Amino acid sequence: MPHREVLAEPGTRVVMLGNVAIARGALEAGVAYASGYPGTPSSEILEALSEASKKLGGPHVEWSINEKVALESAYGASLSGVPAMATMKHVGVNVAADPLFSLAYTGTPSAMVVVSADDPGMWSSQNEQDNRWYGVHAYIPVVEPSGVQSAREAVIEAFNISRRHGHPIILRTTTRTSHTRGIVEVGQINVEAVRGKGKFRRNIERYTLVPSHARRLRIELLDRWERIEEELSRSSLNSVEGDGELLILGVGLGYRYAREAARLLGVEARIAKLQTPVPLPRTFIHKALEGIDRVLVLEEGDPVVEQMLKAFLHDEGVRVEVHGREDGYIQRWGELGLDNVVEALSKLTGVEAGLPKPPRVEASLPPRPPALCPGCPYRGVYPGLRRAVRSSRVEVVYSGDIGCYSLGVLPPFRVQDTIVEMGGSIGLANGMARVAEGQVPIAVIGDSTFFHSGITGLINAVHNRNPMLVIILDNRTTAMTGHQPHPGVPVDARGGEAPQVDIEALVRAIGVEHVETVDAFTIRGVERAVRRAMDYVRREGKPAVLIARGSCILVALSQARRLGVGYPVYRVNPDKCMACTVCYTAFNCPAIFSLEDGKAKINPVLCTGCGVCVEVCPFNAFEPVEEPSEEWILLMRTATPG
Amino acid sequence: MDRNIVIAGVGGQGIITTAKILAEAALIEGRNVLVAETHGLSQRGGSVVVHVRVGDVEAPLIPPGMGDLLIGLEAIEAARYASLLAPGASVVMNEDLQPPPLPRVKAPSLGDVLGSLKAAGLRVYSVNAVEEALKLGDARSANTLLLGYTAGLGLLEGVARPGGLEEAIARVIRRSRTAVEAYRRGLELASVH
Repeated sequence: MPHREVLAEPGTRVVMLGNVAIARGALEAGVAYASGYPGTPSSEILEALSEASKKLGGPHVEWSINEKVALESAYGASLSGVPAMATMKHVGVNVAADPLFSLAYTGTPSAMVVVSADDPGMWSSQNEQDNRWYGVHAYIPVVEPSGVQSAREAVIEAFNISRRHGHPIILRTTTRTSHTRGIVEVGQINVEAVRGKGKFRRNIERYTLVPSHARRLRIELLDRWERIEEELSRSSLNSVEGDGELLILGVGLGYRYAREAARLLGVEARIAKLQTPVPLPRTFIHKALEGIDRVLVLEEGDPVVEQMLKAFLHDEGVRVEVHGREDGYIQRWGELGLDNVVEALSKLTGVEAGLPKPPRVEASLPPRPPALCPGCPYRGVYPGLRRAVRSSRVEVVYSGDIGCYSLGVLPPFRVQDTIVEMGGSIGLANGMARVAEGQVPIAVIGDSTFFHSGITGLINAVHNRNPMLVIILDNRTTAMTGHQPHPGVPVDARGGEAPQVDIEALVRAIGVEHVETVDAFTIRGVERAVRRAMDYVRREGKPAVLIARGSCILVALSQARRLGVGYPVYRVNPDKCMACTVCYTAFNCPAIFSLEDGKAKINPVLCTGCGVCVEVCPFNAFEPVEEPSEEWILLMRTATPG
Repeated sequence: MDRNIVIAGVGGQGIITTAKILAEAALIEGRNVLVAETHGLSQRGGSVVVHVRVGDVEAPLIPPGMGDLLIGLEAIEAARYASLLAPGASVVMNEDLQPPPLPRVKAPSLGDVLGSLKAAGLRVYSVNAVEEALKLGDARSANTLLLGYTAGLGLLEGVARPGGLEEAIARVIRRSRTAVEAYRRGLELASVH
């Protein structure tokens, strides 16, 4: 996605996504280096910066191999004297936590902002962690914009605070800020700064965290923390409006819910906008509390501010009722919404909510979980894998991972027995290989995830001789997050040419003896290759790697459109179809439907011309409407983004 | 006046694009707008809902019971998010029902869904947007056709004017000729309605 609006003329009002507003703010603040690893809901920030970089000649933008390297790269750039930013989703910060903690100790001579895009509600994540705790834990102040409307200014201010104190800032955004589009009035991009270069100035006593230095820096860090807290009490990011005996403390996006809910209910209340939750700006809070006897804290995630507020009130010896997530006024899990905020406010004030009752639709609606796309290369791999396992009569554990292929967890495939975190497939398989008696672990991992953190687990498996089959599903992109490149493809973040790291050569180089690459679009080919690899694993007691390669069909399709290459659509010959159901049950292509009589029909709008159904059908009932061209057959196997 | 519009469908149908067009059109009209979107994993063929709020609004999500209009690109998904609507609100639906690709799951018929929405007291309008868009050469333009149909029914008053919507389509979609044609066809079909 190009996100061209990131370069809108200064002074204009444009519709942009929260993430694009964050990118724009960073450009106005003069960010000269940005790195990140894709992850929902963070990915568009770096995409927008890449778009800007192409036109402006800066900042330098990179997709990193993982979040740790992303944070370290930005850290290095920042130590070299330029404003830098690293972007990642909330769980990515776990991967980057090691350098994050050190960053607070050394500080930075320029400015450094780490964007953590949290996902309350878990729309696209394995957990609901609130990364403001990282701010508390690592002594890094957190700035949390109150929605898309203020994301741009919040980022600019985050860079300013960072620059003034030589200290990093965490910018915490959440799904409903990152992925909400709104009208943003933009300012001037600092073109000179975004193209800027710096110099690393040696300061061994500060930048080498040996114990003697770290002990001194720890004291300095605590001092800085105090100074920053004092300043945050005066920050333009925080304000108070309205009056009453009730204070609604709107933290980040909570502020927007506070205002709209109070208006809906017609409740008189004082509303505080807090966009710097960590550290709690005590003087600001003190003032906001004057004459107040009850507080409702509205925050996305955990009761971070609520707990700090209670501790503060205890210290001050002030008795004020505090409500929020801890006492269940707002549920402990999930996102804020006008409905739950109105309900809490109504309960607290006794004002009837009176929201209209939604209509009752009496229809039994089947669920619609996400599914592998029609034409997804993985759709052929999973049946091949299952067939091979069934015929090998070996009990296996499918150790799964994070990516589009996670959808293999759903019926009919069910080939993901565990999905825990990036790279976890191979990591967990190491332990399973040694103690799960009579079971062979099969780690299923995508190409981008393999580079991210699968490779380390595999080196471990080689060295410790842990028998497992590793299937690397190589669709030549980071598909789930919107087709970003990774080290295995010949394209960089800005769409330019880049050296590609050959997965097969890499895997051989670390000592895997049995390595095979197979075309993902042939079920039988995959089946045979899995059987050969499983035989090797059982015979030799060592890890084997199978690379199943086929391009993400969405990338292949967009390239085909650009290059003017036609793709075929398939159809069912009703005379040949025996209504055996295999194509829409076991193969489960979303483009294939069942007619009343059980025979199959292809929806030509959804069919993407992969042609794997031809192999699936025992009766040869599928045929292309027109023969696929050689160009298309090649694109399906080689297309990469950019 | 605030307007709360729900757009629902299956990932890949151009739901976000539809919302982007509405947002641009609202901006052209000089109105404030917020669009809360579904991205990431659930976009892959899953159930997708986008909340479009126009007017003096601050929070990104439409609370249940406060939606004025639902634009459904797919029938099951339209029915699923009807709970966001106010009593008697309008539903404009593409006559397309895609059974979820789950083995052995029974899907209701299009007629069932339309009937149940009407029985719930909603004002239901429908058009076969995919078929009409295919006639113009690109099924992907079903979304702008449905937008045209909605505008033609007068349901986008206070959000955007027809001319503004056309300009918005041109701003949002790069090669927009077919999309604009589809939009106009939608307007026409609504006037026949």
